Amino acid sequence: MKNRNIDFSMVLALAVHDMKNSLGMLLNSLDELRAENEAKLTESSKFNTLQYEAERIHNDLVQLLGIYRLGENNLSAHIEEHSVSEFLSEHLARHTPLLEGLGIECSIESDDINGFFDTDLLTGVLNNTINNAIRYTKSEIKLTAAEREGYLVIRVEDDGEGYPESMQHTGTLSFKSLDFNTGSTSLGLFFVSAVANLHSEGDRKGYIKLHNGGELGGGVFEIWLP
Amino acid sequence: MSTPVKSVFAKLSYLVVDDFENFRISMLHMLRSCGADNIELVAHAKPAIDYCTYNHVDVVLCDYNLGKGKNGQHILEELRYKKLLKRSSLFLMVTSESSREMVMGAREYQPDAYLTKPINHAMLEKRLSSLISQRNALLPINREIDRENYPKAISLCNAALSRLPRYKTWLMKTLGELYFLLGDLSYAIKVYDEVLSQRELSWARVGRNKVLLANHRYDEAVESLRKLIKSHPDYMEAYDLLAEGLERQNRSGQAQNVLELATTRSPNALLRQKHLAELAEANQDMETATEAWRQTVRLGAHSIHHSPNHHIALAHALCDLGDGDTDEGSQALAHEAISVLASMERQFSESETLELHSLVIQCRIQAGRGEVEKANSMLESISERLSEIHPLELEMGLDYAKTLYRLDNVREAKTLLARLHESYGEDPEAARKIESLLDEPVSFRMKIKARVLNREGIAAFESGALKEAEETFSKALEIIPDHPALNLNLIQVLIKQHEDNGSIDKLTDRCQQHISRLDDLPEQHGQYRRYLALQRKLKALTL
Repeated sequence: MKNRNIDFSMVLALAVHDMKNSLGMLLNSLDELRAENEAKLTESSKFNTLQYEAERIHNDLVQLLGIYRLGENNLSAHIEEHSVSEFLSEHLARHTPLLEGLGIECSIESDDINGFFDTDLLTGVLNNTINNAIRYTKSEIKLTAAEREGYLVIRVEDDGEGYPESMQHTGTLSFKSLDFNTGSTSLGLFFVSAVANLHSEGDRKGYIKLHNGGELGGGVFEIWLP
Repeated sequence: MSTPVKSVFAKLSYLVVDDFENFRISMLHMLRSCGADNIELVAHAKPAIDYCTYNHVDVVLCDYNLGKGKNGQHILEELRYKKLLKRSSLFLMVTSESSREMVMGAREYQPDAYLTKPINHAMLEKRLSSLISQRNALLPINREIDRENYPKAISLCNAALSRLPRYKTWLMKTLGELYFLLGDLSYAIKVYDEVLSQRELSWARVGRNKVLLANHRYDEAVESLRKLIKSHPDYMEAYDLLAEGLERQNRSGQAQNVLELATTRSPNALLRQKHLAELAEANQDMETATEAWRQTVRLGAHSIHHSPNHHIALAHALCDLGDGDTDEGSQALAHEAISVLASMERQFSESETLELHSLVIQCRIQAGRGEVEKANSMLESISERLSEIHPLELEMGLDYAKTLYRLDNVREAKTLLARLHESYGEDPEAARKIESLLDEPVSFRMKIKARVLNREGIAAFESGALKEAEETFSKALEIIPDHPALNLNLIQVLIKQHEDNGSIDKLTDRCQQHISRLDDLPEQHGQYRRYLALQRKLKALTL
């Protein structure tokens, strides 16, 4: 076999595009199915698992593409001013059917402020962290937003066991810090941290903070945006 | 909470465009449960546009990917371009994330919002209700903009700034655009500066640079746009503006590079491809021009910017690229040119002049691939039909002249060009085109060859290498014997030689020969004064 000069990351990206589209259709059908059979399906843990795992794969694929574009140096933040509470409630609406199905309570506590961010990128970040929170929480998730030290801080809290010691950190993750030997690669966190980093203002750059406690006593994810 | 929201939904009319029936139905259910009532569902572009022609629509929910034919972006462009959809109406583009990037490269007409699939009821209700309340709050302003009453719209924007802080970005953006539209550049720049003083935002930076360009502050704009592209390589609007700035600085090579980069990143904007094609043509990079025209024609198939001129430009470029060779590659180019013209005739079948224009080019293509007999018989029938048309359209006339030259009918070509000059000469751009064809009635490759020789000759002359200059200009004149500047250049060299070492009658003979080639040089020609001056000088020498 001769060298066929295949740009494998390009091939992967194209394939991921395709899979993501299919999955989008699948998720759409799941939503409709749930709406049509509300009485039967609301409590069905099998159906919830189905939807949750599909969401998770979808989210992973979106992230993969994001990371691909990051590597191609073709991803930047298109920062505009948005109402934070509006953004959060619009975002949460996407997760509502699943959250209701799983019996997880979810609330938003946001000051009435405007923030500067790229809605697309931040949507990816929230999908990631909310999916994560759904996985580890017991019964409740809370989104909060406030201005602190000149940064917009968006938090996702849950009442689960919290992050293990090794994952708690502040700042930016580098690609090298990913450990492919442990079960969790933290690829999601890498993406989220990269997105935070793409948000800059003057010399200040965004970053993430992971710790435990908060009002619900579980894991606390924070993204700080300048 | 839910009652007022429902009544807000109920007041508006909706159009859902999606090629999947399931999706249309589920959108219908979702909209109904939001309180909407007046909802129309269609599957494709044609019925969507027809519906908007005869009905008022407040909210369009349009899927980007509609299978074959026009996509959502084409619909948006057509609706806004034909003013079938007012500014006060909302256009929401429904996309899957992957089509998102394709959509974003569009050069004009952005939708009011994107909705990313999968969409559920809660999401749609939230999103739409905040868009609708924004629409309602800004309605008076958009109404004035629809009426093109910009001063009124500006004063409404200014008044709204303190009342509606939530929509500050929209208001400032709109203010900047409105001042720019009115030509009030100093106010426009003030708006952008105010935004930028708080934070570096790409849209404001782009807006500011647009104003700088309009103010002829090219250096400043170019530098700033370069920086913007470096930090935001996916912000396509900045590329278009940068190319424009570089062009104004007469750096068309660099401008071309910028657009090439932009079209690799985002290949589906017709106007950008067209801009690239024209630039590359001006830069005599026919390979790039040809490819960009190909893309322009391809993208035109469903676009509001569809035009037969793109086909003709592509056929020209292919002609230029393949002319003079009979190898396989050139045959393929000629073949492609003919099929491009055929598809143009199919798509614009109602136009007879277009068919003739196509034949004129086809005739030249046949000549270019060595089928002289065929070309001549074509020319005969074309000439007959063309002689009945007065006045000839400029582009068609130029093409006809080129074909006549190609088949060595020099006299007819010159007469035709003189006639064209009578009809169109007052327009400087038209005059320039006519003149350059008169000067260089040869194929693109030959033209370039002669130009290179001309440059080399001038350089030799300036460095005092007269013998070399003489030889170089003579070589160029073998390619284009009647080229005015070349003839005059050679005469100047010969006179200088004569002055330097005296004598030799032969030289003046040769000079006479060259000057007489320009006997019919028209008075308005750019070289005419130089021609007269050298003619006088020659007379003085021979006396």
